[in-house]
Amino acid sequence: MFGPRLDGERGVSLVPATAEHFKLQIRWVLQPEVGRFFGPRFGEMTEERQEDRFKKTGEDETQIMWTIAYQDEPVGWTGIFDIDWVRRDGESGIVIGRHDLFGRGIASEAVRLRTGFAWRELRLHRVHNWIALANRGSRRANEKSGYKQMGVYRKSFFRSGEWYDEWLGEAYPHTFPDQR
Amino acid sequence: MALGGTIRGKKTTLRLPAETDLDAYNRWMADMRLRRAHRVWHEPAMPATWKERLKETAKDKMGVLWSIEAAGQLVGLAAGNFWSVTESGFTIRQFVVDPGEWRKGYGFDAALALHRYLFDYLDLPRVGVEVRADNVAALRIGERLGYVEYARGHEVHYRDGGYVDEVQLFMGKDAWRERWGATEREYAPLAADATR
Repeated sequence: MFGPRLDGERGVSLVPATAEHFKLQIRWVLQPEVGRFFGPRFGEMTEERQEDRFKKTGEDETQIMWTIAYQDEPVGWTGIFDIDWVRRDGESGIVIGRHDLFGRGIASEAVRLRTGFAWRELRLHRVHNWIALANRGSRRANEKSGYKQMGVYRKSFFRSGEWYDEWLGEAYPHTFPDQR
Repeated sequence: MALGGTIRGKKTTLRLPAETDLDAYNRWMADMRLRRAHRVWHEPAMPATWKERLKETAKDKMGVLWSIEAAGQLVGLAAGNFWSVTESGFTIRQFVVDPGEWRKGYGFDAALALHRYLFDYLDLPRVGVEVRADNVAALRIGERLGYVEYARGHEVHYRDGGYVDEVQLFMGKDAWRERWGATEREYAPLAADATR
């Protein structure tokens, strides 16, 4: 499913994704700056595949996904995936695809909007995630919205001759700053 | 999920699942003792639905499903998935022993055999599993095998009117070698003249 439009601060909004946004993801994730903490930079990267993913995402009732807009331009995506509606738990994720916009607080605002929606509208009990420990920007963005460390997975993946650890975080309604 | 072949333990054997196993799978997934201990693989369903699930499972390239036998009787199932083409590893998603067969040592025996296959035969560098914090039997098996905890999720699983934590466990090939490498091998070493 796609989430509704949520307008935040500093020109950041979460908006329902479109097929065109899904096609932009190909360009974003294949760049070294974005792929460092994300994927292997190869795959079935075709527009047809993205159209299919767009349809499947829209039909999937175990996820809520948004495109992140900055000054009304699509710049990445975020969502809560694999939601278990009995446990009321899901796994969150975020990608800022426009690496020229890193460091402007876009992820922090997107995570704040997403996390507030999880508590206020979806009535989730918990959201958790995995973030590369060295991806300080993403980790900090999540911590500002109440994510706390629940563990560290050592030597998760290998890049440029170095092992990268992963930080495991979890958040609850009572850890969200706006609800403290 | 693909269907797994024969892995022999001392008391148990992991083997190719068959349609005749599906009645027992369905019974286990409806058993509240098992559901309390462990997230179920699928909800109870009609026989035709289970046949369809088995067919789909056979086609999945990243996962493997085994039935577990002891003394010629079906006593459980095991299932998990490989990580990705760029990351070698395996996550155990299901490890079920029929509640009527608990406390006979089948769980540890089958788990040891499965890990021998994963580390000694497939040469995987690491295996992971997530266990409910009150599933003492599973935690004890993990500890004996050589797993270590790397994370603990709080209030993750809901059942019986309350939440229980989840323990995330990891085992690397070094731990396997240190603890089991000398005694657990799929095959005896090659003879000195084997390649002549």
